[in-house]
Amino acid sequence: MASTTTHSIAIPGQALGPTSKYLPGPGTHIHESNLYSSLLGIVHVSQPEKAPGPAKRLTKITPLPPTELPTISVSRSGVSEKREVLPEVNNVVLCRVIRITPRQAVVSILVCGDSVLEAEWQGVIRVQDVRATEKDRVKIYESFRPGDIVRAEVISLGDQANYYLSTAKNEYGVIMATSEAGNTMYPVSWKEYKDPETGISELRKVAKPY
Amino acid sequence: MTDRRRINGPAAATIPPVFLDDGGKEQKETPLIRSRPSDVLRKLFLKTGVTPSASGSAYLEIETTFKSGVSGLKLSCSVHGPRSLPKSAPFSPHIILSAHVKYAPFATKQRRGYLRDSTERDLSVHLETALRGAIIADRWPKSGVDIVVSIIEGDQDRGEAAGTGDETWDTMNVLSGCVTVASAALADAGIDCVDTVAGGVSALVVDRDGAESVVMDPVASEHGKIMAACCVAYLPSRDEVTNLWFKGNLETSDAQWYTELVQKGIQASRSANRVLVQCLHDTVKLTG
Repeated sequence: MASTTTHSIAIPGQALGPTSKYLPGPGTHIHESNLYSSLLGIVHVSQPEKAPGPAKRLTKITPLPPTELPTISVSRSGVSEKREVLPEVNNVVLCRVIRITPRQAVVSILVCGDSVLEAEWQGVIRVQDVRATEKDRVKIYESFRPGDIVRAEVISLGDQANYYLSTAKNEYGVIMATSEAGNTMYPVSWKEYKDPETGISELRKVAKPY
Repeated sequence: MTDRRRINGPAAATIPPVFLDDGGKEQKETPLIRSRPSDVLRKLFLKTGVTPSASGSAYLEIETTFKSGVSGLKLSCSVHGPRSLPKSAPFSPHIILSAHVKYAPFATKQRRGYLRDSTERDLSVHLETALRGAIIADRWPKSGVDIVVSIIEGDQDRGEAAGTGDETWDTMNVLSGCVTVASAALADAGIDCVDTVAGGVSALVVDRDGAESVVMDPVASEHGKIMAACCVAYLPSRDEVTNLWFKGNLETSDAQWYTELVQKGIQASRSANRVLVQCLHDTVKLTG
């Protein structure tokens, strides 16, 4: 396990050490091969996981693997986790479908990673990003409906207004849906949700349960 | 300007009542003496986290001088964001900074309107330039941050009749305060900065006996005449100046005055920065 040690308070612009001793973590920046804090908070130094020692007797001479440097980071809370306030490329986000058109579904991003976003950001799932196979047969109204909660991945920062999201993986898609009658439905297959009261099934791009 | 929606005060200058106990006669004869050495700033109070609804906020106060009727400086700053840009804004790979500086209607001798006037717009532009050099803008793509500074008390001599003093010198003190308070609020909001930027003012003054000298943190009413003044926003650990505002009548041949004014401005900014650093340390100890 990576061990974390907590150090003193850092203010923006405070020198933390040379780049030859530490790797830059969140809340730091590099200036002239030195690490400086860029946030107000507490300094954390997390040691890299120890590589397992030589299990077998050495049979040949190889250069030592590059030694992992400890990562230094600055954050306000006691944890050295990255604060996710903005969606970034490759983040997994949870969002609600706002409206659908034949070419795209417009969603509002609510959760990014493990943190609930303070501001609401708008995203778009284009028809070609809904699933990985048979992309030309995808119909948005058979994949999403307004009000659905969708798990998706950020693929681009997009244009001025929207983040571009993709659900082209088994784990991504609708995770909560309500039927036209207004009941919460349960998934029955990779493309169907079923209403427990009326028994009518509706089409969705269903996320594979973890 | 007719503003019918709000209750407006008198448009022209108003003289506050002068009470007898104040020694109205004595006040006029107050000698033009600086209350502290030429390289010492007035005492500064700085505190973060004063506005709970904002992502970051700070309050700055500069003490009043010994002379009665002279007000100090009181500034409140709040930082909102990072938040999403409006739909009409074009794509931006970095954070969009917008600074707003507003005098409270009662902050100065001359009553201020509710709409921003040219001085306030000027201050906003200066503040924005000073902060833009300090923040790491590309850490926050597609977002914007609003910095709002309210001037509650505007560092003026109320005893002086309107129109005698030049307000520009006071504006410089206000700007340096704005830079310091906004820097504290930005750090409180958790927006990445390369350094803590602080403002400092220096001035070339002529005393009554005709001696010229350069002082830090000038107060117009404490000196005979201010020839020139300089306000700098300075990053101490980078040794960089992000904003420089110079005003006054100086002969262009006298290059040494220019350098000395900037040097003293930087020195004043370093002094203010020590208060800022202490304040930020306290913020983490109290909240973290």
